Amino acid sequence: MEQQDVIIELREMSKSFKVKNGVVNALDKIDLKINRGEIFGIIGMSGAGKSTLVRCINLLERPTEGQVLFDGQDLTVLKPAELRQARRSMGMIFQQFNLLMQRTALENVCFPLEISGVKKEEAHKRAEELLEIVGLEERKNSYPSQLSGGQKQRVAIARALTTNPKVLLCDEATSALDPNTTRSILKLLKDINKRLGITVVIITHEMSVIEEVCQRVAIIDNSKIAEIGTVEKIFTAPKSSIGKQLVYSESKPRTQFDDTNRKYCRIVFEGETSFKPVLANMILECNDVVNIMYANTRNIDGQAYGQLIVQLPPDDKTAKKMIAYLETQDVKFEQLSELI
Amino acid sequence: MFKEGMLQVLGVGIYETLYMTLISTLMSYVIGLPIGLALVSTDKEGYFIIPFLGIKIPIVWLNKLLGFVVNVLRSVPFLILLIAVMPITRAIVGTTIGSKATIVPLVIAAAPFIARMVESSLKEVDRGVIEAAESMGASPFQIMFKVLLPEAKPSLLVGAAISITTILGYSAMAGIVGGGGLGAIAMNYGYYRYQQDIMFITVILLVVIVQIMQEVGMKIATMSDKRL
Ligand SMILES: Nc1ncnc2c1ncn2[C@@H]1O[C@H](COP(=O)(O)OP(=O)(O)O)[C@@H](O)[C@H]1O
Ligand SMILES: [Mg+2]
Repeated sequence: MEQQDVIIELREMSKSFKVKNGVVNALDKIDLKINRGEIFGIIGMSGAGKSTLVRCINLLERPTEGQVLFDGQDLTVLKPAELRQARRSMGMIFQQFNLLMQRTALENVCFPLEISGVKKEEAHKRAEELLEIVGLEERKNSYPSQLSGGQKQRVAIARALTTNPKVLLCDEATSALDPNTTRSILKLLKDINKRLGITVVIITHEMSVIEEVCQRVAIIDNSKIAEIGTVEKIFTAPKSSIGKQLVYSESKPRTQFDDTNRKYCRIVFEGETSFKPVLANMILECNDVVNIMYANTRNIDGQAYGQLIVQLPPDDKTAKKMIAYLETQDVKFEQLSELI
Repeated sequence: MFKEGMLQVLGVGIYETLYMTLISTLMSYVIGLPIGLALVSTDKEGYFIIPFLGIKIPIVWLNKLLGFVVNVLRSVPFLILLIAVMPITRAIVGTTIGSKATIVPLVIAAAPFIARMVESSLKEVDRGVIEAAESMGASPFQIMFKVLLPEAKPSLLVGAAISITTILGYSAMAGIVGGGGLGAIAMNYGYYRYQQDIMFITVILLVVIVQIMQEVGMKIATMSDKRL
């Protein structure tokens, strides 16, 4: 693999919380590198440790062990004032927006500048520019209570960008929004990543969010990174069981294999292959029908990816013939003994 | 119905009551507000570093101590406190009689009350908002003055309206032991001279003043709240 320009690096980072009856290990020896300029996703079920992980990146949560390197600098050894300075290079947005309710949109965006001692007029000018970037210049004098969820998140994004951060950390930033608003916010994040070259870290529990914007993703489960790789790889061939669960069961509950005597097969489409009528040809060729148990195809970065789980005919001979046919085709497939 | 001069007596009573109440409230806030802030900002692990001096105080310990002092003062009935602090009052004001002297016990009683009111108002501020400010590199003092206090402003104003009316009630109670204002008039005329009508009038006046203060306070609080 080529040498990458790493902006965030976690080294053997662990975080445990003391609670009443013992210790909760929220993160266990996490090793992670995030490259400059990429959109990196972190996905996992609720309670997996995602929020803790992202909060360790800007040290809102201090790791119990290990190092947090930001732009080559170990944040865990910084003095409080140095850490506050470093935090200004990292913007953060949240699920609940966390805007100052007694300040207008413009005053909210001014806040980071105000606390770093920028003059008022200058701060206003910069804040107005940023509100324009997020498309909210007309609502600059509105209070958060007068804005919709999507608009509030735009203000939060503008506020996070005022100090020209190198990284934008997003903790479930779209989880409180409806699908359309989610899409527009994700588009905005993508845009910010492209136009301003800011590295974006997206925490979510929804695979669809990852697919829509991320280049690489880490799946976190039970305080550990279960799997990490490009979104295409993970989406088409998840290795970990949590990865399979997230990828395969998002749009529908798990299919039950009630008839265990029958053969099942997973066909994976990568890129153009999803436009070839592989399944239809197989049915014509073998003169028997299959039962589609599960189907899911998506568009990732302009290419079609997807998978199909079919139940082969009860007749063993025909089933074998079908498998033989698939082998001749330029398509990935595997026989399944159990679902997922 | 009134003997001549009664109107003037009542006028002076109103003036003294307002004077005691307002000055006491102001001074109680001067003491109670920082204590309230300290109670909130020491409510977790770590150290509180005294600015400039650089003295480190373990925070939980400071919180416990402040909380204890506040609770002790708050659990002493006001009438007993009035009498108990008389030496202090005499030391500060020179006398224990009159409205000026009443300010001392009023402040001693009200400051801890206000500290708790402030604490509860500040605790209403969303944890997430504070965290967002931290993530932007805000210092503890910036969080205090630019996040906690402004965000809690409407709730602090509601607290102020409650505090000022409570202090007014206390100031009237001080009339029993020689304080000034409407409370003293009610005691002197109603209790010692059996002039029920005067007592009745002072009570009505107190009710009216409390009503006005409460209403105005709540109105200001509501108007200042941008969440509505
Ligand atoms: N401040 C805390 N005190 C104690 N336990 C915590 C704290 N924060 C998180 N946890 C625990 O750590 C685990 C991971 O939490 P979190 O990172 O919030 O998960 P996620 O964001 O993936 O849903 C959970 O078991 C949670 O209960
Ligand atoms: Mg979370």
